[in-house]
Amino acid sequence: MPAQEDDKRLEDILRLIELCRNIQSSSVNPFEVDIREKLLVLKRHLPEWDAIDVMLKDSEAMTQLVAIVKLQDQWIKHRASALYIDPLLLELKIQLITREELAECFAKCWHPIAQVDQLTPKGLEKAFVYWRELVPFADRHRDEFTVGEGAGIIGLEELESLSIFTKEEFETRLNAITKELVEKTSGKEIDYRGFIQGKDPEETALRGYLVAFVVTDGRASIRVDPLTEQIFISMIQGKPDDETKSVAIVVR
Amino acid sequence: MSAETQPTQPAAGAPDSGAERAALDRKTRRAFQVLIVQRGRNPGVKGWEMRRYLGKDYKAILEVLSDDLKPLGLEVHTVPGPEGTDDSTRFLLRFRDPPTLPEAETAGFRIDDLAVLAASIALVNSKQGRISRKELETFLKGKFPRWRIDYSIDRYIKRGYLDVDDKELIRIGWRTRAEIDERSLMTMILAQGTKTDSKK
Repeated sequence: MPAQEDDKRLEDILRLIELCRNIQSSSVNPFEVDIREKLLVLKRHLPEWDAIDVMLKDSEAMTQLVAIVKLQDQWIKHRASALYIDPLLLELKIQLITREELAECFAKCWHPIAQVDQLTPKGLEKAFVYWRELVPFADRHRDEFTVGEGAGIIGLEELESLSIFTKEEFETRLNAITKELVEKTSGKEIDYRGFIQGKDPEETALRGYLVAFVVTDGRASIRVDPLTEQIFISMIQGKPDDETKSVAIVVR
Repeated sequence: MSAETQPTQPAAGAPDSGAERAALDRKTRRAFQVLIVQRGRNPGVKGWEMRRYLGKDYKAILEVLSDDLKPLGLEVHTVPGPEGTDDSTRFLLRFRDPPTLPEAETAGFRIDDLAVLAASIALVNSKQGRISRKELETFLKGKFPRWRIDYSIDRYIKRGYLDVDDKELIRIGWRTRAEIDERSLMTMILAQGTKTDSKK
């Protein structure tokens, strides 16, 4: 029970802070907050706090109340000033009059500032230095928009030179995936994406890369369903067909 | 105006009356030059800068300059600073008489732009000087197309007619305080409505 009471008291404070923040971030009348009542709530709870976090919340609530009192002061001053007009009346008037009349009202009360924008020798010197040191446009955002080289083609030789593959390892993997493909298709078409799916994106890319070799060798065929855009792969029985074409597939 | 700033009517037989007149002319010229050429981002010169350029009697010299500029249709206007001190007060040159609507249009303001600004200033003032952007946009949407509202509010914030505080509330900007007689604007909008009603 005491824990529940503590929660209730903390909730009171948090609600008070939220209320004060809402009043400050809108044009609502700040006198909507009953300062006296809120102070009494804080005063009542104060002796019961023992945790430092709650005490900090309590002091924050106090700060927010001070901000509301400041707003109330500004509100009274504004209301007492000659600029105060009932907002509802003004909104109604603005809706009633035409845009031309509004613009005319503005022009009659407008005293534009007179000034000369003049280029001084010092300004000219600054401009010259700026222009001299300005990086050419083509080079300006190179670092921001390009990360190394753009997308390109990487061949087996390059992979070998980067020690990603050795020739033996590549052959072994290629044979393994061909065997797996033969087993899984068993004379039928299967889903290409499902087949190349690995346990992580890197493995998926690697399997897609190896399957590309199997297809290029003419041992497998890829078909794209034009309606569903689903990609199928199947093993080719016998000699490869002469009518082959290249298909680009995005591997995610 | 203090006695020391009226050297145009020196005591009879004063030997240095010509020198005082020349000094005043020089200071008035200097004040005009300081005010007319823009320094920094915002126009106008602050009180402490004026004191540095013109000496401690800068206020009296600016009064003389304001009178001298009357035939040209200009005046020296004073905008109280946020701290309310002489040092933070900003002085600037502005038109003594408001321009006509066609003249305003030649300065690059369309009638609709001016109308949006007039309505925004009036509404912000009626709402205790602060209003959320959403509330202002909702109100203006009843009278102006949406694209113009977004564009105009951003433009007026940039130019200093409106301001955004740390709570993201729209307030009156420094340029409105400097250029616009807000009290007259509010009164005229109310009176304009009355005239329109009476015509009907």
